[in-house]
Amino acid sequence: MAGTPIIVADAVSKKFGDHQVLTRVTLPVMERDVVCVVGPSGSGKTTLLRCLALLETPSEGRVVMQGTAISTPGQEKPVKAAARAVRSDIGMVFQHFNLWPHMTVLENLIEAPIRVKKLPKDQAVAIAERLLAKVDLSEKRDAYPARLSGGQQQRVAIARALAMSPKVLLFDEATSALDPELRREVLLVMRQLAQEGMTMLVVTHEMNFARHVGTRTAFMDRGEIVEEAPGAAFFDAPKTERAQRFLQQFEE
Amino acid sequence: MFKYQFRWDTVWGSFDFLMSGLQMTLVISAITLVLAMVLGLVIALMDMSRFAPLRWIGVSIGEVIRNTPILVQLLWVYYVLPIVFSVRIESLTALVIGLSLYQAAFISEVYRSGIQGVPKGHREAAQVLGLTPTQSFFRIVLPQAVRMTLPPLASNFVQLIKFSSLGAVISVSEITRRGMELSATNFRPLETFTFIAVVYFLICWPLAMGIRWWERRLQAR
Repeated sequence: MAGTPIIVADAVSKKFGDHQVLTRVTLPVMERDVVCVVGPSGSGKTTLLRCLALLETPSEGRVVMQGTAISTPGQEKPVKAAARAVRSDIGMVFQHFNLWPHMTVLENLIEAPIRVKKLPKDQAVAIAERLLAKVDLSEKRDAYPARLSGGQQQRVAIARALAMSPKVLLFDEATSALDPELRREVLLVMRQLAQEGMTMLVVTHEMNFARHVGTRTAFMDRGEIVEEAPGAAFFDAPKTERAQRFLQQFEE
Repeated sequence: MFKYQFRWDTVWGSFDFLMSGLQMTLVISAITLVLAMVLGLVIALMDMSRFAPLRWIGVSIGEVIRNTPILVQLLWVYYVLPIVFSVRIESLTALVIGLSLYQAAFISEVYRSGIQGVPKGHREAAQVLGLTPTQSFFRIVLPQAVRMTLPPLASNFVQLIKFSSLGAVISVSEITRRGMELSATNFRPLETFTFIAVVYFLICWPLAMGIRWWERRLQAR
């Protein structure tokens, strides 16, 4: 794991009013890494992800992308400019999909490439069609999101994020809002991406995914990273008591 | 009941005269609706602006207009504006200005709830994909807000048709004014104003029913 990380949370703290959500969290994500962040709800996983997605500003610390600070508490001018430059290199998949309901599946996919990357429409459409085939939804090209199942919507959302060819893809509990039988199809797509070498940071409750697909697992509790271990090691031999107790819940 | 000899022929005899008034009523309502939709958006954007003075102006305009009677506003536009700006304002122009402002204040509220009704996640998705706040507003938020606001806007059109009758007071020759003129020559207010009320009803009622049906359909989706 040599070289510069793609994206790093560097001693990031986040406070909402008096409530300390993150305390000096440091988490580098290397190229082709699939870092899974697990932990009880309210442990700050989502806030950490939102800081990396530039949806929240850290109260302390900074977010660094390939050596350049892109988010700091002061949001100074050069930092903001750097953030704008790498904005679409950071993709995000949300728990509630957040597809735009007034646009068809295809329109959802080509909107950002056309408006942000200024791609010609036919090129954007070609990319979108290729990605839809990849998530196995070619036949839904002209459907509106409301006509799709949750699992299908989330696969479209993944394709939409991929359409900007991001360098890192953040998943915020991407399967939590789905019925168990719909989770599989989304997890399969995520697994396929991981195998293709996509750099991913995955906040999840899917322990099997973290164990078998993740290259590293970070365990968070009360706003801190308590334990971090490569791949399955975290699950086979959790070191801290907190992690052991957390993992026990999944054993029954 | 008292004996009354109905003379509906006095109304039929002036049918074309009254209908030209109706035409005026509908034209005024349509123009005003368009102006009010644009003005309403401006006020709504000011209300939600991050720039405090702009927000303050937007909110004040809205509050003043919503909390004074429309008739007083019309009289004010017709009689006071010409004095302040020393220009001549046609009664028709005054009516359109007054009604547009009045409706804009209400429509701005419709827009605001429509805009705030768009889930935050939709904007965050746009932000993460790199769309600018302006692109996100015009491509993601506004189209959704407009869809939600279409039925309330249509209801506003019905309201405008009725409110435009106030133009009679500043002698705009819409249908109510025509009725006043007619009854002053045929001395048949009962027939004349009943006919006019029926005309308003026949236009507004189907519209209102249609909107209710439309709203139910949108909710069902």
